[in-house]
Amino acid sequence: MDGSLIFLMVLSLVLGAACWIWFLWGVKRGEFDDIERPKHRMLDDDDENDENGGRGSGT
Amino acid sequence: MTIEAGTCFHCAAEIPAGIDVVEQRADATLRFCCHGCRGAYLLITGAGLDSFYRSRKWEDPAPPVSFSDRFEDPFLARFVHATPEGNAMDIIIDGIRCASCVWLNEKIIERLPGVLQARVNYATGRARVLFDPARITPAAIFSRIAEIGYRPRPYTATEAKRGADAEKRDLLIRFGTAFFLTMQLMAYSFALYAGYFQGIGSNMKLYLQLFSFAVTTPVIFYSGWPFLRGAWRGVVNGAPNMELLIAVGAISSYAYSIYATFAGGEVYFETAAMIVTLILAGRLLENAAKREAASGVEALLGLATGEARRLAGEQLETVDLALLVPGDLVLVAPGERFPTDGTVVAGSSDADESLATGEPAPVEKHPGATIIAGSTNLTGTLRVRCEKGAADSFVARVARLVEDAQSRRAPVQGLADRVAARFVPAVLLIALLTFAGYLVTGARFESALMTALAVVVIACPCALGLATPTAVLAGTGAAARFGVIFRGADVLERLSRVTVAIFDKTGTLTRGTPEVAQVLPVQILTEDELLALAAAVEGGSLHPVGKAICAHALRSGLPFAVAEPTTALPGSGVTGVVGGQAVAAGSYRYLSQLSVAGLPDEEELPIQGTAVLVAVANVYAGTIILKDQVRQDAPALVSYLAGQGIATALLSGDRTVTVRETAAHLGIETARGALSPADKRAEVERLRQEGAVVLAVGDGINDAPALSAADVGCAVAGGTDIAVESSELILVKPDLERLARAHRLARRTMTVVRQNLAWALVYNLVGIPLAMTGRLTPIYAAAAMTLSSLCVVGNSLRLGRR
Repeated sequence: MDGSLIFLMVLSLVLGAACWIWFLWGVKRGEFDDIERPKHRMLDDDDENDENGGRGSGT
Repeated sequence: MTIEAGTCFHCAAEIPAGIDVVEQRADATLRFCCHGCRGAYLLITGAGLDSFYRSRKWEDPAPPVSFSDRFEDPFLARFVHATPEGNAMDIIIDGIRCASCVWLNEKIIERLPGVLQARVNYATGRARVLFDPARITPAAIFSRIAEIGYRPRPYTATEAKRGADAEKRDLLIRFGTAFFLTMQLMAYSFALYAGYFQGIGSNMKLYLQLFSFAVTTPVIFYSGWPFLRGAWRGVVNGAPNMELLIAVGAISSYAYSIYATFAGGEVYFETAAMIVTLILAGRLLENAAKREAASGVEALLGLATGEARRLAGEQLETVDLALLVPGDLVLVAPGERFPTDGTVVAGSSDADESLATGEPAPVEKHPGATIIAGSTNLTGTLRVRCEKGAADSFVARVARLVEDAQSRRAPVQGLADRVAARFVPAVLLIALLTFAGYLVTGARFESALMTALAVVVIACPCALGLATPTAVLAGTGAAARFGVIFRGADVLERLSRVTVAIFDKTGTLTRGTPEVAQVLPVQILTEDELLALAAAVEGGSLHPVGKAICAHALRSGLPFAVAEPTTALPGSGVTGVVGGQAVAAGSYRYLSQLSVAGLPDEEELPIQGTAVLVAVANVYAGTIILKDQVRQDAPALVSYLAGQGIATALLSGDRTVTVRETAAHLGIETARGALSPADKRAEVERLRQEGAVVLAVGDGINDAPALSAADVGCAVAGGTDIAVESSELILVKPDLERLARAHRLARRTMTVVRQNLAWALVYNLVGIPLAMTGRLTPIYAAAAMTLSSLCVVGNSLRLGRR
């Protein structure tokens, strides 16, 4: 009983550590540098028609 | 051709009378204020990005831009740096106002062939562009940004800025680490709580405590390192601070818990970890608000970078501003900024010097006139002889003033710090006395130590530490919702203690643009007729005075036909034919040069404002007076401040007469005019030395030194970015009523902080004696601590309501 509990506690620590490393990776990549923009990005609606929109590039 | 009022489809500015730039679309006719805007529209729709116009959220028109700045590769090449993914360049894009602007810039830049990636940071307005140097040049990227109506300039990170960025990341990592570990820790703690009430195997308890110990250690010694270091510095300097309080709280509960793990008993690891985590969270949020404060100087110096067109003999060459030396001749076209201070040698024009003087009306520039660096040339091309190098120019001097004021600002000791300074030594003393007392009365060393530690733990400054950050957080959050941004906790505190408020005039208490105030026709004409005549000749003018007259005529519903100007003298006046008669409108000097009959004496004209005189068929027909009107909400703000016992003063670069009149109109006690940016700063410093807590409100570059020297600098948005970045309190909209609300909120916030501190002290007053007698069982101590923290947080949250 003790053994399985300790195993589970270690497992949760490992899972937590994995998340932590993921977070460190994000900080190093600059994912948290701009916290304003991402929430607007999902509202950009042109990504599905990029193919036809991308052709013309000027007057 | 009769025209009607309208706004430009692209930049939302009012379309000047007589401008007829249209674009036919299948379903509508779109009108533009100039060909540049139409070009930008065509470019944007051509790229399939017209959803920009639907999704953008602009309430005011965009500032005017030139659309066709020249960019030189040799100059820009210095700002390119190689990265593994390609060449990268950081570009500051001025004019970004909403998320749609960010989106538009990203798409437009990314669609240039050769650009690999473009990412625009919404918060800083900075773009990082990755590109293939073989396929595209930096100048082409810059030109494309300018073509859609934004102003790009190269960005170079200063050493200080890079340091601040590194510090921000460091703090984020420390907080993230503390957060993850504390979450783990809480799971173990809850198991231990349950075990306390229901019974737990001693082995199991030991395991849980050991795991708690393992996860808490990095929280204290890694995440809490800034506090430990700060606390040590406080001890060394003999000035107990907030950090010492945090460190004592965390370390004592940590040490006590280690002891309890091995000696048996209850542990308080979660208290130690929570203190560190919560305080780090507060710091992180505070830093986010403060981040931009240092960039003001950078933006100001941005005005002093770029290129100038220098005349070498009769040859024009484009040179970097920094290379200009006194004596050089430069050519400045309309719409360009003057590169450095100098004297006009040839040509005539108007210059917008509002950035230096605060005076909104353009100043006439004829040969011999002096030029201020950073001001904008409006109507004609000028040849200017440089008097100073760029490093000594007006903007560079103002930048130094701001930098100087920021570095000299004394660090304020927050209320919590002042409490901590007395509280920490007192607690330590009590703990020591407890320890000594038990020993003397014959208790065992171990139980004496336990009791003394219990005193420190119960006095743990959870509530004390949270008192200020939570109230400030709730207060600044509430302020942000009504459009006021506080940069940091200390700003709230200082604003609540303000005793003197000084205002800039133009653009702050007044609208900052001339408006028709009085129409004084000669007897045979009506006011409307005179206005219509003036509007007709001024119709095509891009001069602010001409625009104001036309706008006023349009608002009054006067029909007028725009006359073709026959002659226009930049900076003086314009003549055109209206209904077969020659109509002239312009300054007194312009009309007397035309030898107009019946002109009044110059002294008879009102001294206030700008006078535009009108003549029909060379006979004087009347005068139109334009003034910078006071904002509607200004009187209410001044009377609010007076009601709060705050002295008011008006400091302006404008003429003393005008300043006095405005002050008298608003009921402001002191008024001083004709002040330079340095004078304003000196005045602020003088007041501060007399013991006043000074609030400075301004909007211009010329206010920046005063704003940074004041206890609280408040920038009114819509002004220059430099003013915004030099201040700590920002009104998001030019609405002065918000300043009064911000002041009320600051006072309420400080009341809540005081309540919180008082509560925390009362809690300690009860808790410490109980701990000293050794009667406080651990679980009740934990519950009391939590309850006290919840009270403080709950009290703070009241600020966010209503």
